[in-house]
Amino acid sequence: MRHNTTIKVASVAAAMAFTLAACSTSSETDAESTDSAASSSSAEAGSSTEDLSVAFIQGVIGDNFYISMECGVRAAAEDLGGIDVSVQGGQKWDPALQQPIVTSVMATNPDAILIAPNDISALQRPLEEAAEGSEIVLVDTTVEDPSFAVSEIASDNVGGGAAAFEAIKEMVPDGGQVLVIDNQPGISTSDARVQGFEEAVNADDSFEYVGVQYAKNEPAKAAEIVTSTLQRYPDLKAIFATNIFSAEGAATGIEQAGVAGEVQVVGFDAGPAQVEALEDGTVQALIAQQPYQIGYQGVEQAVAALKGEPTEAKIQTGFSIITKETLGTDEGQAALYASTC
Amino acid sequence: MSLETEDAVKLRDTEDSVIRQPFTSRLGDAIKSQAMQIVLVWLAIVVIFSVLSPDAFLSVSNFRNIAISVSILAILGVGTTFIIVTGGIDLSMGSVLVFSGVVASMVMENVGTGQGWGVAILGIVAALASGLAWGLLNGFLVAKAKVPPMIVTLGTFGAALGLSQVLTGGIDLRASPDVLVDTVGFGSLFGVPSLVIIATTVVIIGIVLLNHTRFGLRTSAVGSNAEACRRVGINVDRQLIKVYAFAGLLAGLAGVLNLSFFRSTTIAGHSLTNLDVIAGVVIGGTSLFGGIGTVFGTLVGLFIPATLRNGFVILGVEPYWQQVVVGAFLVGAVYVDQTRRAANSRGTTKTSLYSRIFHRNRNTNRRES
Amino acid sequence: MTTPIYEARDISRSYGSVRALEGANFDVYPGEISALIGDNGAGKSTLVRILSGAEQPNGGQILFNGEPIQLETPTDARSRGIETVFQDLALANHLDPIQNMYLGRELMKPGVMGALGFMQRSAMKNEGKRAFSELGATVRNFSGPVGGMSGGQRQAIAVARAAAWASEVIFLDEPTAALGVVQTKGVMDLIRRIRDKGIAVVLISHSMPHVLDVADRVHVLRHGKRVAVMEAKHTNVEELVGAMTGALDGKEAA
Repeated sequence: MRHNTTIKVASVAAAMAFTLAACSTSSETDAESTDSAASSSSAEAGSSTEDLSVAFIQGVIGDNFYISMECGVRAAAEDLGGIDVSVQGGQKWDPALQQPIVTSVMATNPDAILIAPNDISALQRPLEEAAEGSEIVLVDTTVEDPSFAVSEIASDNVGGGAAAFEAIKEMVPDGGQVLVIDNQPGISTSDARVQGFEEAVNADDSFEYVGVQYAKNEPAKAAEIVTSTLQRYPDLKAIFATNIFSAEGAATGIEQAGVAGEVQVVGFDAGPAQVEALEDGTVQALIAQQPYQIGYQGVEQAVAALKGEPTEAKIQTGFSIITKETLGTDEGQAALYASTC
Repeated sequence: MSLETEDAVKLRDTEDSVIRQPFTSRLGDAIKSQAMQIVLVWLAIVVIFSVLSPDAFLSVSNFRNIAISVSILAILGVGTTFIIVTGGIDLSMGSVLVFSGVVASMVMENVGTGQGWGVAILGIVAALASGLAWGLLNGFLVAKAKVPPMIVTLGTFGAALGLSQVLTGGIDLRASPDVLVDTVGFGSLFGVPSLVIIATTVVIIGIVLLNHTRFGLRTSAVGSNAEACRRVGINVDRQLIKVYAFAGLLAGLAGVLNLSFFRSTTIAGHSLTNLDVIAGVVIGGTSLFGGIGTVFGTLVGLFIPATLRNGFVILGVEPYWQQVVVGAFLVGAVYVDQTRRAANSRGTTKTSLYSRIFHRNRNTNRRES
Repeated sequence: MTTPIYEARDISRSYGSVRALEGANFDVYPGEISALIGDNGAGKSTLVRILSGAEQPNGGQILFNGEPIQLETPTDARSRGIETVFQDLALANHLDPIQNMYLGRELMKPGVMGALGFMQRSAMKNEGKRAFSELGATVRNFSGPVGGMSGGQRQAIAVARAAAWASEVIFLDEPTAALGVVQTKGVMDLIRRIRDKGIAVVLISHSMPHVLDVADRVHVLRHGKRVAVMEAKHTNVEELVGAMTGALDGKEAA
């Protein structure tokens, strides 16, 4: 993008070694200019994927979910070969921090950008602009109008809610009353999880759904919800807690009410905090997303788009159920979110 | 030797020598001045990145993007410079920005679904009024209730964000008329983005206000020696309230720009904005002890971290290292500034930070005795 | 004899059970340097604070030009042309000498610009320089912060500032306490020039030689009362010290 607007200064040759932008001439808008970019334009020919650059902009740095996703991105780049990966991200989940990162990445003219947008509207225009020069793949989160993107890849959150109910059914085969503790209403991903859970419970006659309560990231609130719910529904058998704070609070509430072991808690995500909760019995099962898959498939989609091959506009990835028993297995370990690749 | 008795001649000589000061020496003074020094530092950073990555870094569009990313911070930086010059601090501006955006968005939503200027202007007025209200509250608590500014603005930082969440239930509002988004958020005039034009205007107003007006002089004086101001009949409390109100008003303006640019109230965002802005103000040479500061310095002080972040992303430096370098730069810049200023202010060899503190203590003691 | 420009009659002031002033009298005439001396705790500072409007007396009367007045704030005193230089100088260290001189009394531009808060910077600079030079106070750098200047310079700036605004009376609290010999001489000369302009100067000092050198009359305070008033040229250090400590009987003039 904005080819020919760059101004060269002295010692270009020495600086080339550092210049990520060296491969930018292979981006599709520049494909016509073949002279100096002869080697990199082979991407266009579709025979190999040499000298492609992919920038991955995380939702926030240092989060295990996005680290796993980064591992997927790097693995895909390795498997496909010849892909240069750079990873960036804000230190907080903040569109005001992410927007300058997007524009800085744009300046390097990467062939493709994988991004987890921090806000559905704030990143709309910057990404539309970026899409003029790079293939954009939205991973995990999305924007208002993602039509500029090659592909949107995220967990099937409705399916995630259903998976949580599956886990409960395993643990409580006889059925009973079930409760959902969500963070707060209005967040599309967790709303979808709750919806999927509701649908699955209502389809099963042996379970009774007693509703959703909001703990707003406060374990104390979640504990209060559990104790008061137990007053009204003494047959409560299981709780689906959509985040770690809700899960911790739910466990505290169960303890307080003296029904430990009788009420099962299913948590969401599989970062170190959640795994610890599983290990010490705070929760009995975890529903893990597959960030590695999201990252891996994101690169595949980007490369397909660069090669002119068909892409999938929307991909939904699945879930793994982890319990204390499966935690020790290879399969269980693979499902956990990574701290390093 | 301050006073001489029979030296009308000598006096005239002194004056003449000031007037006849050669141009090179005045240029030397300019380079020595704090603002020019950090401009040179910024230019050095630009040169380094340009050499390392000429294609990606050194482009008009890249500098345009850096300028856009500084715009909102610069508007907050002008108000914060005034506050820090009074010897105060403002931690609340990020939350006041968010709150102002929330109020503006709610007002515009309730007026109707109009996308025109009428609705937009109502929203702008609402945002400015909200910012002003928080500023007045900050100023009143600092000046009248005598609560330390750090505590006051830490409190309003939390309160403004909390109230934003109460008003919205924690869900971002996105009501922002098209005219606002198209002309303010993403518009441009002669190729210069509107955000940059607005920020430049505010910075120029800030420079003029601080250097040419009574308001600016008294702001510096209050930060330098509040007791001296009281002695000459300046209403110190009222001056402080005015300064905090001015900063609040600018935070309200920043709220409008934020809403226009992100088309969202970004409730989850701007939690680190206060630190970014204060860092810029301090890198720009404004003393945290008050009394002295420049708005232009703040602008350059905000450009330095923004340019570093941009360049690091372009070079592919790991995000964690970016924080380390920007942090080290902040501390280094302040240390150099402190030692240099200590040397200048006493014209002696006492150049260490320690002696700077020592001097302050001695002055304070003398003032109280 | 003419009327004193400024006079205090029977002033008393207590802080809780501490009685700082018990019926103190004081007077100063135009074009006269009156020194105010006394041991620590004699009530000098309290009297100066009361006469400069910084504090209110519990009892007694203040006369300005023979008329009784009430001083609620320092501004009331300043509006009558009464200025005070306290020991701390009350300079804003980060501002330059001109800014310090005009702080609180800025010259504003006429019309709309003035209403917007714009100052006449060049006029203040020229007037300020003239005021400094009129008093012979050589300020080396009119645009540098006063915090970076020597003690003598700072003292001269503070005194000259007060003198520039004082049309009637100026109080100087220990103006030479922190200065060297040459600088002290400079300040003494400055004080004489202020007197020569017809302004009444009140000098508070511990230094007997300085007082005898520059003052016309010397007022001695002891235990919150004026115990003696002496003509400087007809007294000496021993006599003053005697009056201060109570070893001698003073001549109460009021």
